[in-house]
Amino acid sequence: MPKSLYYGPNEIRAKSIITFEDIPVNVYNKTVAEERANFKDDELIRIYRDITILREFESMLTSIKTQSVYNGVETTYPGPAHLSVGQEAACVGQAYLMTPNDYQFGSHRSHSEILAKALSSIEKLSDEELLKIMENFLGGSCLRAVEKMGACNSVKELAIRFILYGTLSEIFARKTGFHMGMGGSMHAFFLPFGVYPNNAIVGGSAPIAAGAALYKKVNDKDGFVVCNIGDGSLGCGPVWEAFNFACMDQFKTLWTEDNHQGGMPILFNIFNNGYGMGGQTRGETMAYDMLARIGAGITPSQMHAERIDGFNPLAVIDAMKRKLEILKKGEGPVLLDTLTYRFCGHSVSDQNAYREKSEINDWMEVDPIITYRKNLVDAGVAADSKFEEILAETRERMTNICRHAADKEFSPYCDFKADPQVVERIMFSNEKVASFGTDEPRVMAKKEECSRVQQIAGKSRFYLDEKGKPVSKMKTFNYRDAIFEPIIDKYYEDSTLVAYGEDVRDWGGAFAVYRGLPEVIPHSRLFNAPISEAAIVGSAVGYAMCGGRAIVELMYADFIGRAGDEIFNQMSKWQAMSAGILKMPVILRVSVGSKYGAQHSQDWTALCAHIPGLKVCFPATPWEAKGLMQSALNGSDPVVFFESQRIYDIGEQFHEGGVPAESYEIEIGDTNLIRSGKDVTILTVGAALYRAVKAADELKEKYGMEAEIINLHSLVPLNYEKIVASVRKTGRVVLVSDACQRGSFLNDIAANITEMCFDDLDAPCVVVGARNWITPPYEFDEFFFPQPSWIIDAIHSKIVPIPGYVAENEVSEVEWIRRNKAGV
Amino acid sequence: MAKAVIMPKAGITVESCIIGKFMKNVGDTVNVGDVLFTYETDKASFECESTESGEILAFFFEEGDEVPCFTNVVAVGAKDEDYSALAPGGAEAAAPAAAEEAPKAEEAPKAEIAAEATKTADGSIHISPRAKNLSERAGVDYTYAQPTGPNGRIIERDIRKLMEEGVPAAAKAEEAKPAEAAAPAAAPKAENGYEDIKFTGIRKVIAKSMVTSLSTMAQLTNHHSFDATAIQAFRKECKAAGGDVAGITLGDMVLYAVSRTLLNHKDLNANMIGDDTLRRFEHVNLGVAVDTPRGLMVPTIFNADTKSLLEISKEVKSLAEAARSGAISPDLLAGGTFTVSNLGATGVEMFTPVINPPQTGILGVCGITQRVREVNGQMTIYPAMGLSLTYDHRVVDGSPASKFVSELCKNLEKFTLLLAK
Repeated sequence: MPKSLYYGPNEIRAKSIITFEDIPVNVYNKTVAEERANFKDDELIRIYRDITILREFESMLTSIKTQSVYNGVETTYPGPAHLSVGQEAACVGQAYLMTPNDYQFGSHRSHSEILAKALSSIEKLSDEELLKIMENFLGGSCLRAVEKMGACNSVKELAIRFILYGTLSEIFARKTGFHMGMGGSMHAFFLPFGVYPNNAIVGGSAPIAAGAALYKKVNDKDGFVVCNIGDGSLGCGPVWEAFNFACMDQFKTLWTEDNHQGGMPILFNIFNNGYGMGGQTRGETMAYDMLARIGAGITPSQMHAERIDGFNPLAVIDAMKRKLEILKKGEGPVLLDTLTYRFCGHSVSDQNAYREKSEINDWMEVDPIITYRKNLVDAGVAADSKFEEILAETRERMTNICRHAADKEFSPYCDFKADPQVVERIMFSNEKVASFGTDEPRVMAKKEECSRVQQIAGKSRFYLDEKGKPVSKMKTFNYRDAIFEPIIDKYYEDSTLVAYGEDVRDWGGAFAVYRGLPEVIPHSRLFNAPISEAAIVGSAVGYAMCGGRAIVELMYADFIGRAGDEIFNQMSKWQAMSAGILKMPVILRVSVGSKYGAQHSQDWTALCAHIPGLKVCFPATPWEAKGLMQSALNGSDPVVFFESQRIYDIGEQFHEGGVPAESYEIEIGDTNLIRSGKDVTILTVGAALYRAVKAADELKEKYGMEAEIINLHSLVPLNYEKIVASVRKTGRVVLVSDACQRGSFLNDIAANITEMCFDDLDAPCVVVGARNWITPPYEFDEFFFPQPSWIIDAIHSKIVPIPGYVAENEVSEVEWIRRNKAGV
Repeated sequence: MAKAVIMPKAGITVESCIIGKFMKNVGDTVNVGDVLFTYETDKASFECESTESGEILAFFFEEGDEVPCFTNVVAVGAKDEDYSALAPGGAEAAAPAAAEEAPKAEEAPKAEIAAEATKTADGSIHISPRAKNLSERAGVDYTYAQPTGPNGRIIERDIRKLMEEGVPAAAKAEEAKPAEAAAPAAAPKAENGYEDIKFTGIRKVIAKSMVTSLSTMAQLTNHHSFDATAIQAFRKECKAAGGDVAGITLGDMVLYAVSRTLLNHKDLNANMIGDDTLRRFEHVNLGVAVDTPRGLMVPTIFNADTKSLLEISKEVKSLAEAARSGAISPDLLAGGTFTVSNLGATGVEMFTPVINPPQTGILGVCGITQRVREVNGQMTIYPAMGLSLTYDHRVVDGSPASKFVSELCKNLEKFTLLLAK
């Protein structure tokens, strides 16, 4: 809602119609003879060679999956094989013009995509460059293996073997794979050739690729991004979100302060094989009739959409050439509906119950491996025997690769017994990186000129003044200031840092954390995203994959559900699935609401903490918020950063000396001792801390009981040492948070404490959470969220009866069973 | 009449705002809707439009002031109009109220949980791992603990109480039942020349209680002796008399003498309450140490000072027997105000008995030895009986303690006179 864009009634209400341009469908009509003017003969032949390599790769896997043997090499492979037999020509055509600087993201049926792009890059790189890349990859271990496969007469041939072997042994889950086998078939890629990850989640690449394009655009990087998804993914919300995100008007209207206006350099290519698994897209599960139509629904330029014939590699190259021109002019994004057909089943268990054999046969008759070869021969590019030679060479090479990749001594598995921490080591990168960029950060003014910075300078950094009197809230450095401070600092330190989300710019974020930032940070680094949680998080994942740092915000933690796949499958897993090659410096800010009802008040820390690969923190004080944000910003791992709307305006009450003005880090995983005590330990998460403090005050003042309060500002990782020491001391522990009790992460902590401190416990660990209801209206907060009395009640009735205390909310065992039986 | 323009409320949770900049001056004429000043919350900056038309008569605050919402900020009216009624009354005192004085922490009431049955309804003992652990480290038998945790669970504080106060009398009696006195599991005979006997039951309690006694009191012992000629003679007479009287022993006579003499030395017929209170008793409840197969037990002769020698003699016998057999009532194992421990029969010449808390003294009765003394220039031999008094020096000093024993010795040397009193 920028003020610079006028939204006036006269214009908006004026009578008009929307017109569309014609959308081209299979308009390419050149013959090979004509194209010989544009291609050298050996280029045309190499296109055929690449198609055969791709086809042979998939045929090999089909044979192994169904027969356990390929050309005499006996082996088995239990993992997925979503093969692309029939789709090779489209992939080769697409990759033909792409350079290693152009990034390609893949679908889940992407062996051909990966290999075509790699073969194209090999052709464009010099021998020196190729050797350097291979030598530097994983310390040259993959290259060493390939060198042992037999004599090789050229670096390019060596590189072809390298890419085939690295991909196949990755699929075979071998340590010699490109990612030590941790990615596998649907997550194979090779960054040095611009081959970015494919994705086992249908359409998963769309938001990620949009983020990669954002990276290129924001950081002025050469090249463009191709996002390959299948026609089946057009039913996925995140794909549509990604289209819109990549096409936002603001790239043209608002990204002007630093001359970054212009369209995103991304081509959304849909390999349209007519089926989403077995669901026929046209005629059954989709509404578009012709897929290319959808571009007209996204932008006035119709995303320059076009349907092309993917069975003709030259038609694809022709289209790519024209579309690249559009991207270069800054008029992207582009959408291509690339027709193709899958001869094989979706997987080897596919019985083709959804299509006639005759349909497959009809397509096989126009199989490019036959028709393209025939066209070349007819045009006199080469004699037919040349293509027989290529086929033989391809088969021989693949047999050699397969033999070595299948050999468990030559290509061993990771040894989980000898090295039990093999996966542990790649779950997080745990690096300290002050800046991922090398450029001077683009800002519009000095930090000191930002009004917010000036305002903060006049604030008290502790909640009491020197005389011990409370400072007014307006003049106290508060929780939102504490989040703001390290972020603005990082903006001036890391040129790659971008922050976006819903209403983060003019509004300053719904909770005003970013207030003041737009004065100094241009749109290209701080912008309003559409209400597209999947695209927000997914694009941040792509942005980070490419080497940038992103902070994205979902406003309310409840909206995590809207970005479930992007948080739980993408942001969390890519570091480990890439065996540590990819870094994921993404901070996802989510805010736990209050007063806003059942869909805006949930503490979903447990969901995030459950997923391996995410760091999860939830600061409850300004001192924690600043130190943790700084730590997250200096790190290289994905962090879900929970905040609480109950405490944005609260000052620091616990840390001696208040919140330091200078930069400091709190290690994610540490714990914060709020007060010491000997009688009972209270562990808190989130804003419940303040109610625990009240409970502890009452325990001390009325009952002489000294509670030790430890706030757990980090859930993953979590260092239990201080928790265990406290519980050993007191023998009693209550855990409190605003999350619904059932499935709360506190239960996990309680179970761990019970295991580690069993002999020290004087009573069971007691978890005090919110009721297992919807969050009722704010007026009934005290009946839903843990209150100080609930904490004392829990101590009194489950841990140690307090003389003279009468429980307000005692819950009998019978009642407990009844509630659980009813699921409430 | 002059009207006020107030500080608007810029959000549900906003309580006050800071005035940014005044856009008009006093004396300016304004209309409804004119911007008077800017103000900001922590989240955003706003413009305050005039809700009145007229001349600006006064600004009640300055730029940068923090003003509570709904407070009058600007007075607008006709020229020279009186606006004093609009001035916010407590504006200067708008500083946030000091935090309420925290209520003074009451002296934490010491847990006085009524003792419940050790066992839960189903008869099993529930104990927290921590309490169990502590009981093992401290060598106390948790089965004696009075559970005060939820669901009849023994928790840490119950063990700590047991460590401080020792085994409750009721529990001691329970322990004394022969049925309970199961032999410890036979430990394999060690081949290297020793065997380990794990303390069980009352032994553990004694160990703990002795250590507690010595570690919490300032104990010292005075040794005296007296001429036992008189009591030996009286013993002979009793024996000769036959019947109940024949059972009266030297020890019974000492008990009798103690019960009478103590009344003049009330600091020794007392209990310590906490660290600083002495509870003195009107009557003497005499604890008598009894050696039983399970270890030392101390039954009590209540109101011994009101009982005759014969009554005391008979009561001691029945108490000792009950203690040895385990049939003794728990009530008789508590409530002592002073204890006598008699090791005379074993030929002990002197010893340092250990006080049974919370009592303040214990008298050790030693054996009789023949001693020499000068009588009228002649060396004569007489039977001397040793008495060792251990007393709590926090309560009693050396001199009064010695006076007690001296008087006791005199009374025993002239026992028949004492009987006559």
